[in-house]
Amino acid sequence: MDSYDDILRRGFDEYREFVNPLIAQRAALAGEPIKLVRAEGGVLYDEHGHAVEDFHGTQAFGHRNPYIADAIRRYLDSDAPSWYPARVNPFAGRLAKRLCERAGHYDNAFFACTGSDAVEAALKLARALTKRPRLLGLEGAYHGCTFGSVSLMTKGYLRDPFAPFVEGAEHVPFGDVDALAKALAPGDVAAIVVEPIQGEGGVRELPAPFVEALCELTEKHGTLLVADEVQTALGRTGRGFLATASWPRRPDVVLLAKHLGGGITPISAMLTKRETFLRAYGDHFASGESHNTTMGFNALSCVAALAALDLLTDERIERVGRLGAKLKKGLSDTLARSPLFREARGAGFMQGVALNSPDHPWLSFEHFGFEDLGQKSIISPLVCHRLYRRGFFCFTCGHDWSLFRLQPRFDIPEEKLDAFVVAVGEELDYIEGLG
Amino acid sequence: MTRLLEGKRCIVTGGTRGLGLAMCVAFARHGARVALTYHKDDANAEDAKRAVTAAGNEPLVFKGSVADSAHVKSTVAAVVSAFGGIDVLVNNAAITQVLPISLLEESDWDELMDVNVKGVYLYSRAVLRHMIRAKQGSILNIGNFASERIIESPIHYAASKSALRGLTEALAREVGRYAIRVNLLAPGLAEVGMAQGLPQHRQKEYLDKCPLGRLARPGEIAEMAAFLVSDSNTFMTGAKVVLDGGL
Repeated sequence: MDSYDDILRRGFDEYREFVNPLIAQRAALAGEPIKLVRAEGGVLYDEHGHAVEDFHGTQAFGHRNPYIADAIRRYLDSDAPSWYPARVNPFAGRLAKRLCERAGHYDNAFFACTGSDAVEAALKLARALTKRPRLLGLEGAYHGCTFGSVSLMTKGYLRDPFAPFVEGAEHVPFGDVDALAKALAPGDVAAIVVEPIQGEGGVRELPAPFVEALCELTEKHGTLLVADEVQTALGRTGRGFLATASWPRRPDVVLLAKHLGGGITPISAMLTKRETFLRAYGDHFASGESHNTTMGFNALSCVAALAALDLLTDERIERVGRLGAKLKKGLSDTLARSPLFREARGAGFMQGVALNSPDHPWLSFEHFGFEDLGQKSIISPLVCHRLYRRGFFCFTCGHDWSLFRLQPRFDIPEEKLDAFVVAVGEELDYIEGLG
Repeated sequence: MTRLLEGKRCIVTGGTRGLGLAMCVAFARHGARVALTYHKDDANAEDAKRAVTAAGNEPLVFKGSVADSAHVKSTVAAVVSAFGGIDVLVNNAAITQVLPISLLEESDWDELMDVNVKGVYLYSRAVLRHMIRAKQGSILNIGNFASERIIESPIHYAASKSALRGLTEALAREVGRYAIRVNLLAPGLAEVGMAQGLPQHRQKEYLDKCPLGRLARPGEIAEMAAFLVSDSNTFMTGAKVVLDGGL
């Protein structure tokens, strides 16, 4: 086995050479911390020992959480099989039971490796169940990288290169109840997939009237309501285990991923009702395996997810809600002085800061080789660039470059969040001063 | 192969990676005794030591910043003690950072200038004490096409490389009377170094304008460096040698 020291020294260059030079260059040009070689106390450290607080959200329990790592270690030290040729996997069985109990309402789970896989599973479930052709997504959505998921997304670099898309996929304007009613009225829509809070779309929460209409109209027309909770579930919004638990009607399907594997192993899940699964696939034994994956039910990922569930206590989620509210208020109050600030939005530890563009042309990323930004705002990449230097790894919303996102780890110290608010304020002042 | 640097005692700053390493290897292959310096990466230094040893002679390896005068002084003293003198200094160590002027902070400017310019002054001053006494020696500063051609460069980096041109010309005049030659080698984009961080379309633009239509190989630059500091090149000083495939 190659030594980790050697991998952590040469692997970054090998990534650039053998994986994706464009990503490596983009990261370098944007000033992102790249050579991260150590994780301790949930925080990343670069080769020079600088700490980086990762706000990407996949690491809700902090990088290399010791509880998750121990669980994985214990499993690897055991003699339990890692894969079950009959597909009847006891670790998947236990995880499904625990997930359904924790989520409430649902009593059937399907596991895969990524959020996109979960979206794909939901789309196929909907087609198999309803035999209907149409699939709806919302404008501004992000659902992943498979053909089904990109077909649900609207115009942009994450979708456009892959046309033509899945037949029957259409879009409803965000929050438009009338358009939703019109789209569902013919009764030929298999599923509508929505994010409770759009992430890449700009940390936009579905308006309450739209959610009400969504719950009511999908039930009325027999359309499967699929909540893509890849970003919002597992306590991220501080509103409980699932962000949709308080909706007027629980979605027919919810999709989970991100920190389900504790940030260490890849795993995603589709939760639904057993009755829904059986109606879709229960005709005979063969159809029961119509949609399946080889490694989606691997025991190792299930073990990590079981450990992650242990950590997702009500107290921890309550803290996310409480500190998230404080963070949002802190950002709103502190940044109000800046003409660049529009608003802080989101819930819990899924927040976005919306900004106005600076009007001075010299605040440009052309020097970074990003000449083809079109009408995209420069402000979020600029702010993120500044925040990287202060040890905060925020990121720009894929569909809206006027916002940057932050999804801190759940146990981040409160004073670290306070320091972050101060840092954002100082950086906005700095950028404003430049303009 | 003619060994251009048989017995020459050389210091190469920033000698563990990229072009610096290529020069150390080439110099060793040409028969030189090499002392190389590096700043941070111990593992790279070990690799470099192995590579240079395999090419000829085991190098002396020193860790420290070229902008740290105490490090420079002690390194040069150690090399003189080990080799009995210094014939060649290659000021190669440099850093870069891609920032538009709007985001360039004073500390960024100072840090880069310290390494890229002050480091050259410190090392040159330290070795000249010995070279002048010996009335012979060669200093080669590594510049870059960034100071003047084709590709947009961060201004502090470009300024630092332009500064080396003035430094080279002035120093060449000052120490020429002691038969010490000072030259500048300005490579274009190479397969190592800056090109790695250049967006693909910028690299393509460069290659489109480059008559030879490719990036420089590190070995090609290193061979030119070996010639420039060798006794086969005795009448060139204060010169800037551009090695950019004909841009």
